[in-house]
Amino acid sequence: MNKTIFSFGSYGIFLVLVGLIILFSVLTIEKQQLVGEDAGTALAAQVDNAKDTDRILLITSVSKAEKALITGFENSVSKELQLEVLSQTPPAVRKRIVSLIEANEIPEHIVLSNKAKKWLLFQQMQTNFPELKNAKVATIRASSGSNFLKKENLLNVADQIAVIAIIAIGMTMVIITSGIDLSVGSLIALSAVIVTTLIASYMGAEDASTSSVVIAGLVAIVVCGILGVLSGVFTTYFNIPSFIVTLSMMLIASGIAYTISEGQSIYQIPESFVWLGRARVFGIPISVLLMVALYFIANIIMTKTVFGRYVYAIGGNLRAAQLSGVPIKKITIIVFAICGLLAGVGGIILASQLNSGSPTYGTSYELYVIAAVVIGGSSLMGGEGKIWGTLIGAFVIGVIQNGMNLIGIESYLQKIILGLLILVALVIEKYKKT
Amino acid sequence: MKNLVCFLLVFVCTISSCKKEKKNNFKGTIGLTVLSLDNPYFKALADAAQEEAAKNGYNVLVTSGDFDPSKQRNQINDFIIKEVDAIILTPVDSKSSGIVVRKCNEMDIPVFTADMTTTDSLADVVSYIATDNFSGGKQAADALIEALEGKRKKVLILDFPAAESCLNRVAGFKERIEEYNTDNSLEQIEIVAQLPCNAQRDQGFKATSDAIQTYPDLTGIFAINDPGALGAVGALEKANKLEQVAVIGFDGQPEGKEAIRDGKMYADPIQFPRKIGRETVKAIMQYLNGYEVPSVLLIETSLYKQADGLADKEIKEYH
Repeated sequence: MNKTIFSFGSYGIFLVLVGLIILFSVLTIEKQQLVGEDAGTALAAQVDNAKDTDRILLITSVSKAEKALITGFENSVSKELQLEVLSQTPPAVRKRIVSLIEANEIPEHIVLSNKAKKWLLFQQMQTNFPELKNAKVATIRASSGSNFLKKENLLNVADQIAVIAIIAIGMTMVIITSGIDLSVGSLIALSAVIVTTLIASYMGAEDASTSSVVIAGLVAIVVCGILGVLSGVFTTYFNIPSFIVTLSMMLIASGIAYTISEGQSIYQIPESFVWLGRARVFGIPISVLLMVALYFIANIIMTKTVFGRYVYAIGGNLRAAQLSGVPIKKITIIVFAICGLLAGVGGIILASQLNSGSPTYGTSYELYVIAAVVIGGSSLMGGEGKIWGTLIGAFVIGVIQNGMNLIGIESYLQKIILGLLILVALVIEKYKKT
Repeated sequence: MKNLVCFLLVFVCTISSCKKEKKNNFKGTIGLTVLSLDNPYFKALADAAQEEAAKNGYNVLVTSGDFDPSKQRNQINDFIIKEVDAIILTPVDSKSSGIVVRKCNEMDIPVFTADMTTTDSLADVVSYIATDNFSGGKQAADALIEALEGKRKKVLILDFPAAESCLNRVAGFKERIEEYNTDNSLEQIEIVAQLPCNAQRDQGFKATSDAIQTYPDLTGIFAINDPGALGAVGALEKANKLEQVAVIGFDGQPEGKEAIRDGKMYADPIQFPRKIGRETVKAIMQYLNGYEVPSVLLIETSLYKQADGLADKEIKEYH
């Protein structure tokens, strides 16, 4: 592996991310339970001493994980037992138990899955079913573990931040040229609305074929790319600050999105459309894989190609770049186009995750994207910035948001803490540099 | 560097102190995400749910979707990771919320919708507790018919097409107006326009300002909630037309009730968000304790007029 790619040590912000991860790992330590077949095996061990005549009632809820538990339990009990499995909702379970009591077939052993154990029904078992006071209850004892560090949660964080991180690639390039692009939030909405409208109105709605879904997606991405080109053209050929150009583009794109969708969310799309947002390859969400791939490509472009050096040159010293023959206008337009294209991709991922398109998507995303880029060490003055830094910046934001939800911090307080933590992250970054 | 370490320590302590301590009678956790906590209506709903849950030994994680469907999706994903015992959801978007409810179904976390629900037919919601919006819309129409007696009858509707609950209000309103029009062929009520205010004050203000340019002889406005109606009142005051136009809102938010008391709005079908919050938690308790709960529980509105406002000692509170 190339050494420069992974020299995270030079990013002060990486330490901040590590710090946050440690912080939230510690704060989210809670009791963890065995799941799946292992849980079934552990429960089976507890009824090992049951007599042949004993009635055993195994109670679980209805999810897939619980099915595995039942299999694990049934495979591990050594002898033939009078086993009844109740895989139901709480009301259905109560009904069955009541009928068992009425028929005087009170079970000697009650085995509870973790889900079932947490129901009020069994938390208050003595008051609910005084008849069952002699029954032996088997549950799994909990060990301690961190909710934050669960594999499922780490993937969840990556999945949540994927859209922002992908767009942040384009934003990093724009910011390195000392520009800014405020239109990305609206482009997300526009892209989501275009792809869903095309499918819903012109490609057969729920019955659309996969190829037409792909075409609709490409159209949406290209439209966003074209708007990006327009931003670039106005910035370079008319010499208007990109802040103003993209502010206008933000309004235009949002207006188009509202017009096309008539302010409604569009959801007449085939189930296959959610593939991008929900499917997993090797257990990793597609959106996350796409994000990682795009970062690798972007890093190579920025560090190994002439184009990348030109981008840094434009932001570092415009005059010098001009004198040394850098095609400033062309490069700037391409950079804005990339930013637009990636915003289009982001919009499609979001539409796919939410299984619909709506002009309200992407509101204030531009701010998070810009925050991710700046936290990642890029300078708003241009000429400075690293692609991997931006990815770390995006994760800092994602980890903070996720961690606060897991801890259960109140929603108003979350905003304050997020703002403060971003500031702290930047202060640390500055310390590290000086 | 020392400063920095101190800085971080303070942060760690602040965040740790925010982590809610578990009490002795702790029984479980409920995740709650509403449309927006900036709207006092949902704040009241969330507060009442929290109080009722605390009585039963449950802790409520209160979050706000802030009108952003993907933010709300993330919050629910975080609830799933946290393995909450139940989720109370007021979807930001009736349609797109279905996908994440389906995920809750797969993970066996019961979902209860409060005030609004998801329209995804593949998503299972245990129980939906809400205002009877359709009959509330009819009450709004009744109030407007009363207010417009002996006047010209040109009416504007300010709606919120993305929210199912608000669509129902408008449907109830229109049905009652149509009934009136069939009974009174001489004095028809004309609905001149239906514009979106999206349940927000600034948008209600804008839509009304624009409408009175086109229809200067407007005499009535029905807005699907109080912020929308108060925006309309602002626009009418600015144009000096408040005398001419009767405004009906919906909700019974403190500010709306005060506007009714002061004669700025004519009436509100009021909702009972605290009751919705309480009933939702009660339904969760019943369900987790193994009792059947109805799949829909509708709570009637009641009409609130100036006389009610003058007599109301708790005008700043929700009921």
